[in-house]
Amino acid sequence: MTNERLLPTPDGQYNIGHICTRLQCDRGHASKTAMRWIGAHGEQAEYTFGDLERESSRFANVMQSLGFVPGDVFFIFLPKMPEVFFAFLGALKSRLITGTLFSNFGEEALLDRLGDAEAKGILTRKSYLKKLLRIREKLPTLKCILLVDAAEHQAADILSLPALLREVSAEFETPLTPAETPSVLHYTSGSTGKPKGALHRHRSVLLQHRTAAEVLDLRPDDIFWCTADHGWVTGTSYGIIGPWSHGVTQVHFGGAYDAAKWFEILEQYGVTVWYTAPTALRMLMREEPALFARFNLAKLRHICSVGEPLNPEVIHWGRKVLGKDIYDTWFQTETGAIMITNRPGLPIKPGSMGTPLAGIEAAIVRDDGEELPDNEQGNLCLRPGWDSMFVSYFHHEDIYRQKFKHGWYMTGDTARRDSDGYYWFMGRSDDVINTAGHLVSPFEVESALLEVEGIAESGVIGAPDELLWEKVVAFVALKKGYAWNSDLELKLRLHISNRVSTTATPQEFRVLEHIPKNKSGKIMRRVLKAQYLGQDAGDVSTLDI
Amino acid sequence: MTTIEKLNGIFRTVFDNDEINIQPEMTANDVDGWDSLSHVNLILAIEQGFGIKFNQRELMTFKNVGDLLRSIESKLG
Repeated sequence: MTNERLLPTPDGQYNIGHICTRLQCDRGHASKTAMRWIGAHGEQAEYTFGDLERESSRFANVMQSLGFVPGDVFFIFLPKMPEVFFAFLGALKSRLITGTLFSNFGEEALLDRLGDAEAKGILTRKSYLKKLLRIREKLPTLKCILLVDAAEHQAADILSLPALLREVSAEFETPLTPAETPSVLHYTSGSTGKPKGALHRHRSVLLQHRTAAEVLDLRPDDIFWCTADHGWVTGTSYGIIGPWSHGVTQVHFGGAYDAAKWFEILEQYGVTVWYTAPTALRMLMREEPALFARFNLAKLRHICSVGEPLNPEVIHWGRKVLGKDIYDTWFQTETGAIMITNRPGLPIKPGSMGTPLAGIEAAIVRDDGEELPDNEQGNLCLRPGWDSMFVSYFHHEDIYRQKFKHGWYMTGDTARRDSDGYYWFMGRSDDVINTAGHLVSPFEVESALLEVEGIAESGVIGAPDELLWEKVVAFVALKKGYAWNSDLELKLRLHISNRVSTTATPQEFRVLEHIPKNKSGKIMRRVLKAQYLGQDAGDVSTLDI
Repeated sequence: MTTIEKLNGIFRTVFDNDEINIQPEMTANDVDGWDSLSHVNLILAIEQGFGIKFNQRELMTFKNVGDLLRSIESKLG
C-alpha cells in the first residue's frame, strides 16, 4: 500500500528532514510557528518553519563538515530541548541513520546501543559526558561527541556544537532521497539478548503523515502537543514527523510531569489536539477534581493515547472530567506508525484497541500459522508491506527474519478480535515488560543485577500495576555469606538506575534460595510470575531447581 | 559535616554525578535523572543515610531540595 497521493512529492523527494522544513516553507509556511517551546522553568521560545529549515540545515552542514556520509549512524542523547529537533531533522537531511536515546539511559544501556549500531557520532551535553567517557574505549567507531552546551571544543573528538554552527551556512540543499533510504533507528527491548535497533526508511513519512490526519485528526490550524519523549518511537513519528509533515504547530515542554503545569499548558497555549500516555492519564486521575475545574480547556478538541492499553476507567474519567473521548491507538517501534486504532468516526468500545486502519491487514493467528476466528485469543499479526514497516533489526538480519512467519509479521502481542472487528489486547507472547509505555527487557535487568556483589542468581518479571500497567519485579538469590538488607536493596536499585535506566529499576525485590530454571538453564519467568501472583505455575516437570 | 553536605553526597551517589551541588530552591528539573522513579531511590538513600523515616504524607509535600532539607533537620532534632 502506498500513500503518495496524501503527501505529494512530485520530484521523488522522500527526505523526512526536507519534508518537515523546506517543503513547508515552499508551501508558504516559512513564517508560521512550527514549535512553541516551553522550558522546564517556564522559559519560552517560538520557532517558525523558516527557523526549523535554517537550524536543521546548519546542523546538516556541520555533519558534512565533519566528514559524515550518508548511512553513517548518528545518535541524539539529550533531554527534550530545541536542539534535539534541529539535529534530528538536520541529520536526516544529511541522510544519516538517526537514532534517539532516552536521557535516563545509563552507561550499559548506552554501550549496548552505540556499540551495536557502530555509531559514528553522538550529540549530548556536558553533564552526560561522564557516562560516555566511561565507555568511550569500547566504542572504536565513534569518531566524535558533540556537546550542545560547550562554548569551545574540549578535545579533538569532543566538540562544541555552537562553535561548529558558527562556521557553517544556514542553507543546505537536501539531496534527492529515494523512499527506501534508511532514516530513523530506534532500539527496542526483547525478552532475550540485547536490545535490537529497528531501522526505518524515509518512506515511513507517508504513513506517519496519513495517520496524523486520520487518527490524530490534525488540521492546518491545530495546536498539537505530543508529550512523548523523542527516545520513544511516538516522540519521533508523532512528536516530530507526522505533524510537521502537515505544517502543524506543535507545543513541546521540557519539564517533568506536573498535573497543574500540564493543564496550564493545555489552556494557555490553546492546545487543540493532545497525544499522551495511559500512565500520565492515570496519574491525572489521582488528582483532586478541583484542579481541573481551574482550567478552561474549551479549545481542546481531540485526545489520543498510546503506549499501554487504555483501561475503560480512563475513558470514563475523560468523558466526565474533560468532556472528551480519549482515543486509544496501538503501534510499535517496528511498525513506525499507528496500525490498529480508535479514531474519529469509529464508535469507541472502552478497553478496545479499535480496528485496523484501511489498508492494514491484521489477524489473530495460532502458533502454527492458522488464522483464528473471532473471539479467540492468539498472536496479533500484521500482513507485511505497510509504508512505515521497519526494514531490519540493524546488524541482526537473522532476528529480523524470525519476526516473520507464515506470511505475517508477528507483533509479539496477543489479542482477540470481536465480531465487530475490534481488537482487544490480551498480553505479550514473550516476557517483555511494558512499564509506563516503556518496554523493558528482563534479560537486561537480570544481567545487570548479577554484576552486584553478593547476587548469585536473578530473575525478572513484569507484574500488574494500577498506575504503570506493569511494574518490574526482581527475584534474587544471594551468594553464601550475604544477607538481604536495605543497604543491598539500595545498592541494586542504584546500580540498575545508573547502569541501565530508571525505567528498568525494579519496584519490588523478592529473595529466593534459588531462581527456578529448566534443565538447559533458562530462567523460568513463568514460574516466578505465577509464584508472585499466587497462581498455579502449571507444568513444572522440566524445572531443574 | 553539615546536613546539606551530607545530603549533597547522597544526591551525588544516587544520580551518579560528582558535579551536583544542591541548593534549597533546586527541583527535579535541575538535576539530570531526577524523575519519579529515581525519586524512590533518593528517598530510600536519605532514609538510610540519616537513619530516619518519612511517612507518605511528608513525601507528598516535598517540592524542592529545601523542603527535603527542612524535613531531615526536623527529624534529626
